[in-house]
This record gives sequence, C-alpha cells and structure tokens, in this order.
Amino acid sequence: MQRFTPARRLLSEFKCSLRRQRRCFSQVAPNVVDNNDGFGPKIPSFDYSPPPYTGPSADEILSKRKEYLSPAMFTLYSKPLNIVDGRMQYLFDDKGRRYLDAFGGIATVCCGHCHPDVVEAIVNQTKRLQHSTILYLNHAIADFAEALANKLPGNLKVVFFTNSGTEANELAMMIARLYTGCHDIISVRNAYHGNASGTMGATAQSIWKFNVIQSGVHHAVNPDPYRGVFGSDGEKYARDVEDLIQFGTSGNIAGFISEAIQGVGGIIELAPGYLPAVYSTIKKAGGLCIADEVQAGFARTGSHFWGFENHGVVPDIVTMAKGIGNGIPLGAVVTTPEIAAVLTRRSYFNTFGGNPVCTTAGLAVLKVIEKEKLQENAFVVGTYLKERLTALKDKYELIGDVRGRGLMLGVELVSDEKLKTPAKLETLHIMDQMKEMGVLVGKGGFYGNVFRITPPLCFTKEDADFLVDAMDHIIARM
Amino acid sequence: MAMLQRRILKSTLEEAKARFNFNWYPILSPCASFSTLPSSSTTATAHDHVPPHLPPFDYQPKPYNGPSADEILAKRKRFLGPSLFYYYQKPLNIVEGKMQYLYDESGRRYLDAFAGIVTVSCGHCHPEILNAIVEQSKLLQHATTIYLHHAIADFAEALASKMPGNLKVVYFVNSGSEANELAMLMARLYTGSLGMISLRNAYHGGSSSTIGLTALNTWKYPIPEGEIHHVMNPDPFRGVFGSDATRYAKEVQDHIEYGTSGKVAGFIAETIQGVGGAVELAPGYLKQVYDIVRKAGGVCIADEVQTGFGRTGSHYWGFETQGVIPDIVTMAKGIGNGLPLGAVVTTPEIASVMAQKIQFNTFGGNPVCSAGGLAVLRVIDKEKRQAHCADVGSHLIGRLRSLQDKHDIIGDVRGRGLMVGIELVTDRKEKTPAKAETAILFEKMRELGVLVGKGGLHGNVFRIKPPMCFSKDDADFLVDALDYAMSKL
Repeated sequence: MQRFTPARRLLSEFKCSLRRQRRCFSQVAPNVVDNNDGFGPKIPSFDYSPPPYTGPSADEILSKRKEYLSPAMFTLYSKPLNIVDGRMQYLFDDKGRRYLDAFGGIATVCCGHCHPDVVEAIVNQTKRLQHSTILYLNHAIADFAEALANKLPGNLKVVFFTNSGTEANELAMMIARLYTGCHDIISVRNAYHGNASGTMGATAQSIWKFNVIQSGVHHAVNPDPYRGVFGSDGEKYARDVEDLIQFGTSGNIAGFISEAIQGVGGIIELAPGYLPAVYSTIKKAGGLCIADEVQAGFARTGSHFWGFENHGVVPDIVTMAKGIGNGIPLGAVVTTPEIAAVLTRRSYFNTFGGNPVCTTAGLAVLKVIEKEKLQENAFVVGTYLKERLTALKDKYELIGDVRGRGLMLGVELVSDEKLKTPAKLETLHIMDQMKEMGVLVGKGGFYGNVFRITPPLCFTKEDADFLVDAMDHIIARM
Repeated sequence: MAMLQRRILKSTLEEAKARFNFNWYPILSPCASFSTLPSSSTTATAHDHVPPHLPPFDYQPKPYNGPSADEILAKRKRFLGPSLFYYYQKPLNIVEGKMQYLYDESGRRYLDAFAGIVTVSCGHCHPEILNAIVEQSKLLQHATTIYLHHAIADFAEALASKMPGNLKVVYFVNSGSEANELAMLMARLYTGSLGMISLRNAYHGGSSSTIGLTALNTWKYPIPEGEIHHVMNPDPFRGVFGSDATRYAKEVQDHIEYGTSGKVAGFIAETIQGVGGAVELAPGYLKQVYDIVRKAGGVCIADEVQTGFGRTGSHYWGFETQGVIPDIVTMAKGIGNGLPLGAVVTTPEIASVMAQKIQFNTFGGNPVCSAGGLAVLRVIDKEKRQAHCADVGSHLIGRLRSLQDKHDIIGDVRGRGLMVGIELVTDRKEKTPAKAETAILFEKMRELGVLVGKGGLHGNVFRIKPPMCFSKDDADFLVDALDYAMSKL
C-alpha cells in the first residue's frame, strides 16, 4: 500500500540529499531566494488592495485543522499559505502579499476570483431567495439550464444539477447503467472522476482508491502520448478497449467515461484519434459515451468550449463541475431526452441541486465567458504560454514534457530525459520556490512530478511571462 | 416518475372529486359530508366557515419582472427533463423568501411550513447569515483546502463543540448524499466488514450507493447495491410491534446472526425518518441496537440531515433524544440554511483509517459555505432556536392533537419540536392511507396560503418542518387552515 508522504518531510530529505551528493544538475545554493525582493522577475502590476486581515494566523489555523479536520488533509507547501482574499487571477495571503494564481483553485475559478459580475449575481440572488428546491418553480434554474444546453452540440439538452463533479459522475454512471441494463463501465488508467463509491471505481490511480468494493469498472490502457507504450497512436490504444469488452465483459457494456485532458493525472491529453475510435467501439457494444468535462470544459482549452470537441466526438452524456460556477458548489449532467427518460422509472431528487443562487451564478459565468471572450483569451494566452514553456524545455533537461491546450497546461519534470524518471523532489522544490517568488501552481500526475497550470481564464501574457520567468530563474539556480 | 406521479395525482383527484362531489373553492358553502367517513360530532367552529388569515408580517417583497410560471414550466420540461417533478397541479413560482414566509410571482405571501425540505433552518434570507455569505463572497469564494483559510477551521471547531463524546473530526462535503457515502466508506474501512444495515422506510440519499441505504421503493432505481440489508422499521404507528423497541431490536440481532458473517460494517438511521413521513423511532430502540451492532464489530451512524441543529426542541441532535452517542454523524440541509453544504463528524480513531489514501473534496469546506455555516450555528444559539422549537412545537402538536379528536381522517400526529407529521387515514382501525384526501388537502392548504410537505411511502403524511423562526401565530394559522380545509372535505 502506498503511503502518502507529507511534502514537508520529502522536502527536508531532499535538502539533506542535495548537500550530500551531486545530481545531474549542479548543486543547489543552500540559501535559495526567500522572498522576491529585487531578485528575479516581478509580478505584473495590479490595481487592487485587499482589506487588512485581522483573522487567525496560519499557525492557529493549522493547529485547528489538525484537531478538527481530516488527518489526511494536506497542504501544498512546506510552509502552508494562508489565503484570505482573491481578485481575478490573483490571491492574497494574510500579510497582504499578492500571488499569481496559476492553479485557479484546481481549474475551478474560471472567470476570476470575486469577478464583479458573478459576485453581483450571487449577492442579489442570495438576498432574494437562497433555497426552495425544485418542488416549486423558479426562473433561475430554467434560464441556466437553457443557456447551458445551448452550449452543447447534438441532442444534448436535458440538464440535471448536482453539487459537485463526483455527484455528476455518479449520476452519469447510474444513468448509463439504467439505460443499457448493463453494469460494466470502462474508464482510462490514470483518470480521476470522483471519490464516492461508483466514481472511486472509475478513478484509476491507486492513491485515490480505498480498499472497498468498487464493482463493474474496467480500466483501459492510458493513451498517454508521453509515457504510453504506443506514443501518440490513438487507434492502437483504442484496441485495448475492444479487448476489454470482448474478453472482460458479456460483450455489452453500460458505457465509457473519460476526461478529454486528464487533470489530476497530470494534464495528459488523450492521443489523437483515440476518442473517435473508442466511441465507435462503445456504441457497437451498446454502451453510452460519457465525457467528463469537470476540468476541460467552459472554454479552458481555448480552441473549443468543451474538451471533447477537440477530439471531434459528440458524447451521450456530459458531466461538469468546478469552473461551471467560478467556485460555487455546483455540478451538472447533460444528456439527451431519450437517455434522461430512464430516471422517470423512479424518483431522483437532489435537495440543493439547481438552487437559485448557484444557477444564477452559473448563468453569470456563461455570460462573462462570452462577454469577456475568455475562450479566445485562453487560446491566445495559452498558446503563448505553451510556446514559452516549450522554449524553457529546450533550455533545461529537467523539463521532460510540455503539453496541454489553452489554459490547461502541464510541465512534466524528469531527472533523466531518456528514461523519463520522475523528478518528484525537484518538482516540490521548484513549486515551493515559485510560491516564494509569487506564483502558485498546482501539482499532479501519478508520480507527482507534473506542474498543473490551470489559471483563471483572465490570465494575461504578462502573467504568462512572469510565470515562465520565475520558473526559469529558479531552475537556473538549481 | 414525474409523469407517473402526475398521472396518479390526476386520477386520485378525479376519483376524489367524483366520490366527494364538492366544489373546489367553497368559501361560504355549507359543510359537505363524506360518504365514507363518519361525520364528527363536535360543533363547527368559526374556522369552518371563514378561511383563516396569515399572521401579519412587516415586509414588502421586491416587484417581480421575471418569467412567468408557464414560461418557466415550459423551459423545465424542455431542458430539465421529464423526471424533474414538482408540487401542485398548478406549480408555484416562488421568487422570494423572508424568514418563515415565501412569495410567489404576484407578491402573494405564503407560510413556509416545509422550509425547502427542512433546509432553511434559520429563516429565508436571515440577515446575519446573509451578511456572512455576502461579505465572504466579496473576499474569497473558493481556493480549496490546499491553502489555509480560517473559515473552515473555525466552523469545524464550532461544530465539533456541539458534539458529545469524542466526535470531533469534521469532513465537509456538499450534500447529505455525499455525507452518507463518506460515512459508509468510513464504516467499511474501519471495521474491515462490508455489511451495512439500515431501516425500512429510511431515506439516506439519491446517489448510487446511498440508494442502497434508502429503503423506499419510490427512490430506488434497479441497480446493484452491494451488502446492504434493511431491517424492520420500529414504527410506533404502523409497526407490527407498536412501540416495543426490544422486539424490533431483536430483528437486528436475528439479521446479524442469520444474514451476515456475524460481523457488520455499520448501522445507519435517522432518529425521526423524514421522507418516510416523520416517523419517530420507538423509544429505547437505538440504545439496544447500538449495543447489538457494536458487539458485531460495527459502527453506528446517525443521519442528522433533517433532525439536527435544535429542530427537535428537546435536544440539539436527534440521536440525543434516544440517549445514544453514535460513532459517526452525518448532516446537511439545515447546516447552512440552504447553502450547498454537508458534513460528517467522527472520532479521531475512525478518521485515521481515512488517512491511508487521499480523499479530497474540491468544494467542501469552501470559505463562503463555512462562513455561512458558522453564522447558522451562532444564530441558532443567539436566538435560542432550540428552546423555541420545543415551545412552538409542543403548542403545534397540542393543537394538532385536538384537531385529531375532531377529524377522523387524522390517523396520527407525531414528531417533536418543529419536526412534525400528520398521517391521514380513511379508516382509523385499518389505517388505510388516505392518499386522495391528502392530495386534495395539500392543494387546499396552498390555496389558503400554507405550504406543507408530503411524505410517507403512500404519500399520506403531511410533513410540517418550517424554518425554526416559526411562531405560535404561524402554528395557529396552519392548524386553523387545516381545520378549515378538512371541514370542507
């Protein structure tokens, strides 16, 4: 069983090992830059000052967390950050220091922290009616459902509102199983779909899977262009799905679920050609195709609104959460009227799902994305950022791969370019140093060696430059 | 199900109309008589002839300029699917809420006796909670627990301080279903066993796993549920053993001995079943069952999604009314006065098994919901809502019991504090569910200005679970309206 080692211990081990031995990059200076005064790139200017913070200190909070919250709750840095304020693509700590948020609360804050239009919508609705349930009518849920349905192709126009991505994927899996009368579902290795019983089965990384029964899910070979055995040949990977069905199931299955770009798995874009081939196989087996757009959806990939559109497919069911509400707890499942009808066999009800405040926020988010052309921005800035990161990759052997699309980018660090040995400790170190310089990135991948860059979509070229320059500055000194 | 429900509703209403043969809007019509129910012998009160009035309330809703009910309904049908059901033949367009009242599109005020399904605990748009939500929304909506933030820590501490025993590790989720899913996972990991036990007539969620715990066929889709068994419901009104807790507890013992390996993962129950029709478990039941389950290595889970936060009046938590301390407590609904929030509280010992792997909830414990949740706890304490529930609740139940003496259709009045159920029957001896009559009265109450809930497997129980700022005047209005409506049946 894999033990989850706290970052702090890894980091101190790393610092000790550095002083002992030379590594493939020259030795790290023992006194790395502690804060960004005068050295290295500067954060772009921003005209906003947060109100002074008078709440509990980081230490007080940490000790309360230890006592009253899950013992497995982790933080990202050796010295955890107390984030108290947010504005657009920036976050502020308890001392009022500003950071560039390149992680977006895990690809969740898409319009920007406390975006005025979204906040106004939330505040106005909260003052009127927070909650009544769908037992009564309210226009907010209907208007949002309509607007969301209009963003989807084909006959995808019936919406179910939930409160999270996990709830959305659980519902999607149940719908597929009911619709087909089959139980088997196929997901992709390295995927993340949620943490409830059904979704834990679909999730395919051991660190997220508890030792409980997770039935009826089969995991296909990951069409990973960087580490996968077939490189970028999507169709070769797709044959594994066919084999799974032919040999591991009755020949008929409930469905297939995947992300267009794996998020938790380390920003892995499915090899081109994979999804169309797999979708065809699934349909032949009577199954439904579920697209998990929890991270890739809502304009993040830049070239398209939805991640699956990049692959030229139309799913039967689409799930979403995270960015859908700019951070408000909201999820959704969209499918066709024909498939949606299965739920009429009994009653399905979600108390909070579709409440006026969350749906009003969701509608505001769609409007902001359109009004501020965030998809286009994600494309332009994302392309630029990827170019700069690719240039950085050419400069440093430590960077094994730069991938992704729009503002969903990954930077994988390896200590050996040929062997692709994951550079876990270096990743932690750089991440910590980035934070010291004022950039907050995310981490992912099975080996924890991939930087996940999924900022609010209002991220600018200046922000991109700052991020890359900071990374450059740090790696150069390693 | 919505289509099926509507067809059933329509046919029962047609049937009722044909049977009872009365006008829909009898303002001053003479009393109609039932053919099937014996008429009451008590004299008609003033309430029989004049519909009662809503207690006064000094608040003006904002003018509504949005889409009409018909427009919304058409959009719902198109974009929200046929399974999304709703109350009332002519559904109500609720556009605003204030404390225990709701307003429709024409500005008409209704007494909210259902609180969005026991969810709006402090009152719609309660100023203190509103303030907490608005202020936090302006600062930071979301960052996740990978960074520190004081709101989640403060809220967890405050919640833990409300718990007895060693229940002090809090997990924040986004709904009751998520909370019960997590509780079930904890139980199975901690004990190493699989078997879960829940009560017939229970409701614990609508996700694929909690559907297994839920035990009402209306809500159970035909999917595999894993090792979950449902035991006899200790229902004092309909249960075969009446209020004899020992006999019901023996059922659990028998199930463990004959239906399992002898060891189970856990037992979960609501203290007062909500969806099942406000059924209070026979007194003494949980004490005995907790013992039996623990001897079989299992953990005891208390589902406080509806009964928590002072609603029962006599105690803060429902399980306290049965004199037990669970191993895991789940909550949602009233915890945030309507914010999408849920929680699981357990002991450090049980929580430690969850540390084997990573378990993360993106939205769970976000600053806005935590700030809202903390405000709710403060309001409940400051405004002494628990004592208020006890006070108004006993007044309400007292008046309902008098009503029961007057109208034979009332088979049972039960519950505690502001979690009350009224079961309607067409025959007091047989306890035949009065489905059609319930449907009619339900509509009638809405016309009179009272929004109640409905529950029970047969849909013949009125659920009265208002925001906890519900007053004695509100209670009187509700009872008078019910009296009036019943007299006209």
